[in-house]
Amino acid sequence: MRRLLIASALAVGLVTPLLGHHSPAAFEATKTVTLVGTVKEFRWQNPHSWIEIMVPNDKGQDVLWAVELTSPTYLVKGGWKSNTLKPGDKVTVVGRPLKTGEPGSAIFTSVTLADGRTLTERPARLGGPAAP
Amino acid sequence: MSRAIRRGIPAILAAVTLAGLTIAAQAPAGRGRGGQNSAPAPPAAAATAEPLSALAPENLNKPRPKAPFDLTGNWFISGSVPGGGWLFGRTPAVLPTLTPNAQKHFDAYAAAVKEGKVYRDDIGQCWPAGMPVIMTRVWPITMIQLPTAVYMMSEFMNSLRVIYTDGRPHTDPDVVVRTFNGESIGKWEGDTLVVDTRYFTDLDKHWVDQGIPASKDFRMVERYKLINNGNTLEGEWTLIDPQNWEGEWKGTRRWNRVNDHDIQEVECLPDMNQHLQSTSSSVHIR
Repeated sequence: MRRLLIASALAVGLVTPLLGHHSPAAFEATKTVTLVGTVKEFRWQNPHSWIEIMVPNDKGQDVLWAVELTSPTYLVKGGWKSNTLKPGDKVTVVGRPLKTGEPGSAIFTSVTLADGRTLTERPARLGGPAAP
Repeated sequence: MSRAIRRGIPAILAAVTLAGLTIAAQAPAGRGRGGQNSAPAPPAAAATAEPLSALAPENLNKPRPKAPFDLTGNWFISGSVPGGGWLFGRTPAVLPTLTPNAQKHFDAYAAAVKEGKVYRDDIGQCWPAGMPVIMTRVWPITMIQLPTAVYMMSEFMNSLRVIYTDGRPHTDPDVVVRTFNGESIGKWEGDTLVVDTRYFTDLDKHWVDQGIPASKDFRMVERYKLINNGNTLEGEWTLIDPQNWEGEWKGTRRWNRVNDHDIQEVECLPDMNQHLQSTSSSVHIR
């Protein structure tokens, strides 16, 4: 089964989070990649959390992908905890890949866990309604 | 800002908070900040010609007009002001006329974007964002206002900025240590806090926006007011840098008050960039 799918899709219902740590210019705005694989590491830290996931390619070789998430502040608002992911977990991660097509790096959109739950992240916004 | 300084920020926060509490405790009933006659006797060392610290009780308790507003709180950049710019992630809608030096960088940045690459993203490489970008990160800023200074700590990299309002002048340029946030001197003009910031770093790692560098001659004048019943901070900015653009580059920014979040320690660790190809892959033009 083809494990690596690249599809153009509008991120319906999702607000693209702004990245505070670095420029987002290298990443696709709407095109997504779906990664079906095994968690190698999940790091819960500022300014960004990340998931390292081993994803088999068409030849059955494992490819390491680093998927970058927002800060834990906004992950918590989306229902995450520091132990939401553990090494060895089987997951499906959707993210926005590099515009160059280079594999291995993506900005997180969603994850579907082995128990069927799907988690996203909240936009990096705090405070009340927009000022007039 | 060095890592050592960043790691000292919690101690600075504690000291500022403690100083504020001390002043509040010392102020007579019914008298706000800036009250007088409650300072403890200065230590003998204060008899020297050294200027008083912004946190020295003798300085904090000097008689001053009451400030028209208090910035103490947490603030988050608002997206409600159109025009973009100074966000390091959105190309400004209106650019000033760039000098050949800045135009060279901006053209290289624009060409990189077309190729899906990133040009000189030094913030992503853990260099300080500096002014004005540090004020517009999508991270909250804690502000603590005392009679002598406004202390600002951005949650993003725990960047420290101090605006001195105790009447001191700018430091001798032959003595000042140039930084990414510059040296800020503020004064109250009616209902407005006017801040003059200068003495920025001469390192070529300081940008006012993507592809637009800041030189050591960069200078900012900010005019702040509280609006929306104290829940919105509005700043009118004027950016000047004759090495990189002509004349004054003006814009307005707003921040919303945040009452349900406290800033945390946020460090840019080499470990992170080793793991994230978003900052370490070949798409980066250094």
